[in-house]
Amino acid sequence: MTSKITNRIALTVIVLCALVMTATLAALLGYILYHGLSAISLSFLTKDSSSFQAGGGIKNQLWNSFYILFATMLFTVPLGLCGGIYLSEYAKPNKLTQFIRSCVEVLASLPSIVVGMFGLLIFVNYFGWQYSILSGALALTVFNLPVIVRVTEDALQSVPRELREGGLALGVTQWHTIKTIVVPAAFPGILTGIILSAGRVFGESAALLFTAGLSTPNLDFSNWNPMSMTSPLNPFRSAETLSVHIWQVNTAGITPDIQTIANGSSAVLVLCVLGFNLFARMVGKFIDRKLTGKA
Amino acid sequence: MNQVYVKQNVEESHQNMKKASPVLEVKDLNIYYGEHHAVKHITMPIEEKSITALIGPSGCGKSTFLRTINRMNDLIHGARSEGEILYGGINLLTPKVDVVQLRKEIGMVFQRPNPFPKSIYENLVLSLKFSGIRDKKKLKDIAEDCLRKAALWDEVKDRLDKSALSLSGGQQQRLCIARALALKPKVLLLDEPSSALDPISSSKIEELLLKLKEEYTIIIVTHNMQQAARIADKTAFFYQGELIEYGNTDQMFTHPAEKRTEDYISGRFG
Amino acid sequence: MENKSVVIQMQPSPNNEGRSLIQNKKKWTSIFNRNSEWRGKIWIYGSAIVVILSVIAITLFLTVQGLRSFVVDHINVIDFITGTEWYPDRAENPSYGALPFIFGSLTVTILAAILAAPFAIGSALFMTELAPKWGQKVLQPVIEILVGIPSVVYGFIGLSVIVPFMRTHVGGSGFSLLSGALVVGVMILPTITSISADAVRAVSHDLRQASYALGATKWQTIYRVVIPAAKSTLLTAIVLGMARAFGEALAVQMVIGNARNLPNAISDPSATLTTIITLSMGHSTTGSVLNDVLWSLGLVLLIISYGFILLIRFISRRGQIS
Ligand SMILES: Nc1ncnc2c1ncn2[C@@H]1O[C@H](COP(=O)(O)OP(=O)(O)O)[C@@H](O)[C@H]1O
Ligand SMILES: [Mg+2]
Repeated sequence: MTSKITNRIALTVIVLCALVMTATLAALLGYILYHGLSAISLSFLTKDSSSFQAGGGIKNQLWNSFYILFATMLFTVPLGLCGGIYLSEYAKPNKLTQFIRSCVEVLASLPSIVVGMFGLLIFVNYFGWQYSILSGALALTVFNLPVIVRVTEDALQSVPRELREGGLALGVTQWHTIKTIVVPAAFPGILTGIILSAGRVFGESAALLFTAGLSTPNLDFSNWNPMSMTSPLNPFRSAETLSVHIWQVNTAGITPDIQTIANGSSAVLVLCVLGFNLFARMVGKFIDRKLTGKA
Repeated sequence: MNQVYVKQNVEESHQNMKKASPVLEVKDLNIYYGEHHAVKHITMPIEEKSITALIGPSGCGKSTFLRTINRMNDLIHGARSEGEILYGGINLLTPKVDVVQLRKEIGMVFQRPNPFPKSIYENLVLSLKFSGIRDKKKLKDIAEDCLRKAALWDEVKDRLDKSALSLSGGQQQRLCIARALALKPKVLLLDEPSSALDPISSSKIEELLLKLKEEYTIIIVTHNMQQAARIADKTAFFYQGELIEYGNTDQMFTHPAEKRTEDYISGRFG
Repeated sequence: MENKSVVIQMQPSPNNEGRSLIQNKKKWTSIFNRNSEWRGKIWIYGSAIVVILSVIAITLFLTVQGLRSFVVDHINVIDFITGTEWYPDRAENPSYGALPFIFGSLTVTILAAILAAPFAIGSALFMTELAPKWGQKVLQPVIEILVGIPSVVYGFIGLSVIVPFMRTHVGGSGFSLLSGALVVGVMILPTITSISADAVRAVSHDLRQASYALGATKWQTIYRVVIPAAKSTLLTAIVLGMARAFGEALAVQMVIGNARNLPNAISDPSATLTTIITLSMGHSTTGSVLNDVLWSLGLVLLIISYGFILLIRFISRRGQIS
């Protein structure tokens, strides 16, 4: 009899755990969207931020976030793809491979602030690129590389061996088989992973504090000369991203409307990340259907 | 060392010209997986423009043998082979052989249809593009030619740009055969090509092979005795890695020389 | 060699495409050929080297930089690790005791794990044992969205919800170790849940069937069969969560209060290795002692992170053997 009661109680507790987790998410999203959506307006999205007065926007921060994301992906995707291909297709089961795997694991588990400190040391100080888009993007490359490597390796591993043999049996070299058959077959998985990682990069802040900096010079959005200091495209200017902005406003902001700006920025950030998630899933499914001819 | 080889080759080539020239000459071939001796002392000639069937119980080394001919077994970690497979005077097992070229020369079709997840057209021209053919017209012509040879043209001509995975299993397998023909190979290796297919698709493949043998040398592994009897000119019976009997198919199915062959053919084991 | 080519020609030419089966000598110039195997390999090995180099460079440079305060500034290592007074900017008699931060980091980590692990494992059991179909369908997206929410957003919500809540219900300023642990606990909840769920799913069905066949209830089966069988992966999940909690910087910094002394209670404001680095790094000049000791804190952070990585390896390897 008691075992039955224990069973009842224990199972109820388990259900409660799941409820708590779901409720936490609901509360988080509810809070952010409830407080944030009212703060979002066209002018909020398209105005410069202000240091003292109320009514600042997040135009530059939003632009910086996307710019750094783009630059990061430009570095990470080719490197990560090749790293994943190496581990999945070329690596022989030996000490070197084990070592590379360990390196990927270490990179993936290092705190992002450590990556930021490394960026400060190497990119900002040693190479003298200062707080800049470039330094930030390179730090985030270190941060994102292991993710893409793993995503690629997993996706490639799920491609059946028969396809590789089919390519090689046609007298196609291994590299070309990988390039034209295996990678395209794994593409939906890889792309989904890449977009999801983009969400992570977009929200990252600790690695950027000491690499991309806490401020943005006055940008002139009609100046597209990447060498000019006021150009939004200049990769050597400092760039406060949206997530860094949220932190900055909350810890050091002195404008009267801190709360509104933080609410609005958080909502924009979360919506962007959710957008990446949703997009990743849709794109993955779409391409998958196209490849398998079910569309 | 090279000299010796060359001499041998000259003599052989003269001999070969007198006989009905075998396109492949297997000589004392041994294949190992690590310690495991999977294929033992195989010696057999393969005649040009004929169908040779390899039969035998599962695990007797048929696939291993077949995959060694175009060096697909190189891909398996720990697999190695000894002996000779002579093709055009060249021992295919020497490291000097360019396996990429070899596989263009000796094509292969697998047990499970493995079309690439691309369009039907892309499946056909992938290897051609790799070989440097860029001319659209030429690619189209070859693709059509291959599809016709594989008796698939009428079924797919209107949907060449559709995914190859949208085809039925039998169509997929014929596409794989067509794909292998694109590079104009001399020899076609087929590893139980119809075992995963329904009887109708299977008989279509058989018809196709009978037609193809006018142009190509075909070596086919099959589990299906009737299939071997229907299409093969020569049949080789493998048992536990050894070649037990090899000869004309009629001969072998009516008067097998070996007891084990008879037992296997009559379905007493395997 | 000459002879050979003659022989080949004497054969009825085996190929109509003019192909030669004998390999040409590989030329390095083949990298200019777009289909070259070589070119692919350069890319592939290049990126493998980048991965290795990043790890070596991070470790090496942070170590060298982190040792400066001991080697150049002659700060005693033992004093640094065990000292409780952190006044690096005091003109007179500066002191560099990092213990409060090490303590803060470890406490936040452990508290977060204690808070998150039960809920995480409970949720994992729910989605695998109790409602494997729809539980999975509902909780999987929940996990993914929770993982995706950026850490500053967690920090911001901690600041605007948890801190005021603590202020009114626990007392003090509301900025505290506990607030930090709560925020980080929620952050690592999805990490632990998803790995735990994988662990539970990997337990073979035969084991469960055997248990039910003996008349065990669901809970008895979970408690006596499933959890023991998944034990080492569950532990790995928790340690992975702890590693993430340990390395979190901004979210904790926003709610922990950033006090420099050892806290007396978990409701006291405190600081961690990451928070003190976050706060001070930007304000210190390169080469100053203050800057050097911050790098030393970074080194401590790196070493403990490596400790977590080794611990995770150790646990999962032991799990594989048993
Ligand atoms: N990749 C492999 N590694 C080790 N042994 C193998 C491998 N493939 C096949 N073998 C062994 O070689 C023998 C022949 O196998 P196989 O050529 O596949 O037989 P068949 O095709 O006639 O069924 C079997 O004993 C099998 O266990
Ligand atoms: Mg076989």
